[in-house]
Amino acid sequence: MRRAGWLLACVLAAGCGPLSQTHHNPGNSHEVATAGASPAPGEAHTDIAVVAGRVSPPSGWLEAAKGQQVSITVTSDVPDELHVHGYDLEAELPAGRSVTIRFKAGLSGVFEVETHKSKLVLTQLAVR
Amino acid sequence: MSGVLAHGVGSRSDLPIPLFYAYAGAFAALVVSFLALGLLWADSRFRGDRAGRVLALRLPARPLRVLTLVAAVYTLGWLVAGPEEGNAAPYLVYVLFWVGLVPASLLFGPVWRLLNPFRLLPDRPRRPLPRRLGYWPAAAGLLAFTWMELVAPEPAATGTLMAFAALYAAAQVTGTLRYGHAWLERGDPFEVYSTLVGHLSPLGRRADGRIVLRSPFDGLDAVQPAPGLVATVCVLLGSTGYDGFSSAPIWVDALQSGPLGHTGLGTLGLLAAVAAVAALYGACLWLAGLIGGARGLAPRFAHSLVPIAIGYLIAHYFSLLVFEGQRAVILSFGLDAEVNQDAVGPATIATVQVVAIVAGHVVGVVAAHDRSVRLLPPARAVAGQIPLFVLMVCYTLGGLTLLFAA
Repeated sequence: MRRAGWLLACVLAAGCGPLSQTHHNPGNSHEVATAGASPAPGEAHTDIAVVAGRVSPPSGWLEAAKGQQVSITVTSDVPDELHVHGYDLEAELPAGRSVTIRFKAGLSGVFEVETHKSKLVLTQLAVR
Repeated sequence: MSGVLAHGVGSRSDLPIPLFYAYAGAFAALVVSFLALGLLWADSRFRGDRAGRVLALRLPARPLRVLTLVAAVYTLGWLVAGPEEGNAAPYLVYVLFWVGLVPASLLFGPVWRLLNPFRLLPDRPRRPLPRRLGYWPAAAGLLAFTWMELVAPEPAATGTLMAFAALYAAAQVTGTLRYGHAWLERGDPFEVYSTLVGHLSPLGRRADGRIVLRSPFDGLDAVQPAPGLVATVCVLLGSTGYDGFSSAPIWVDALQSGPLGHTGLGTLGLLAAVAAVAALYGACLWLAGLIGGARGLAPRFAHSLVPIAIGYLIAHYFSLLVFEGQRAVILSFGLDAEVNQDAVGPATIATVQVVAIVAGHVVGVVAAHDRSVRLLPPARAVAGQIPLFVLMVCYTLGGLTLLFAA
């Protein structure tokens, strides 16, 4: 009887967890432009190309001050997704088209900017 | 939430510490080392396992272990049936369990020994644990875990975690059925990790099982040298060092454009970091033996690296525990809440990092000093310590450099 009780508790514990879902919607306003958007003055900007699985310029750092506007322009030769970690911003990257993602750097720390499918770190955004 | 992440989980890493913090930390570490050399006591003071005041505490080990088992089953439930996105299991494993073991053990002593669900298995050894096995299984297990965390292609994927959980459970069950609970004391990587960290806790556990209130220095002095102890400490130091180095742009670039691929080069990097830490230790201890006129010193000073490793661990995981610990709780209980991204600022994080590294260094130096005056002949005790201090200064400056530059 006691053993059955434990078994039941375990099954319940295991079963309940995955049912719960959280909604993760950071309130970051950002915009995504697919035209040839040029960086505005005072922005922290980088322009990155992904060709044949290579990142150019090689993965480095993009420095920004907290509260500064950041714009990241990416051109990938294959369709992919852009992801700014921490800020949790995503943008579709159609093959061969340059995409610019613009947002305000409201969180301090170092955040990876990567592609989802090819899993490349394009740059690391350092916000001080 | 998928992706190549620095610590298995986590979406941010720490800013480099300001140059002033790095200099202040390095200066403090050097001054303390030289003061210790000249001013500390000439006769050994720490009494290890004999020290402390016995507390009449009897903890309900069995119910606690059953609770841990339920928590483990809950985590497995997430792994088996949870979604790929927003799965709590990686946060439970990498943040609450792995990182959380450090503060828990620092405060309450060897907690994983108390909670270890494998200790619910009967303690009926079929043969004694071979002496030469020592801590080697734990060193291998810790290397495997840190490889999964820092190098594996998908550290947070449910498949990766399930494979590790299966291997870990199989090793513990096999070892316990053959060698009894003596296996868990030396072969369970997390019990060894928690017990080593717990030696610095004011709540100590004597070899006979009695719980005592004692100075962390006496606790540290009670670490029993055994084969593989040096390797275990070197794995902890080396893997944390590699963690600090692995987000440097030059290494990120090499990982994703080199011919060996991400996993191949990452594995080499992790092994090289552990080997470098071990080689430096071996060389300095050999020199200390040469100057001090003593042999076989290496295992008897391994305890003095434990606080340095803990300093590294705190410096690298403090912000992860603060930020991703919140996410672990939110995800696993399905709370409708957001992670507070401003819980600690960059200045607080940098201060905690430098203080942890320097404090680890100071405790390590004092522990090594006391052991030196016990083991080395009085006339050579001071000179024999110089290689040990060089070793610790190297580790500390290395740790500060990683915080400053990567």
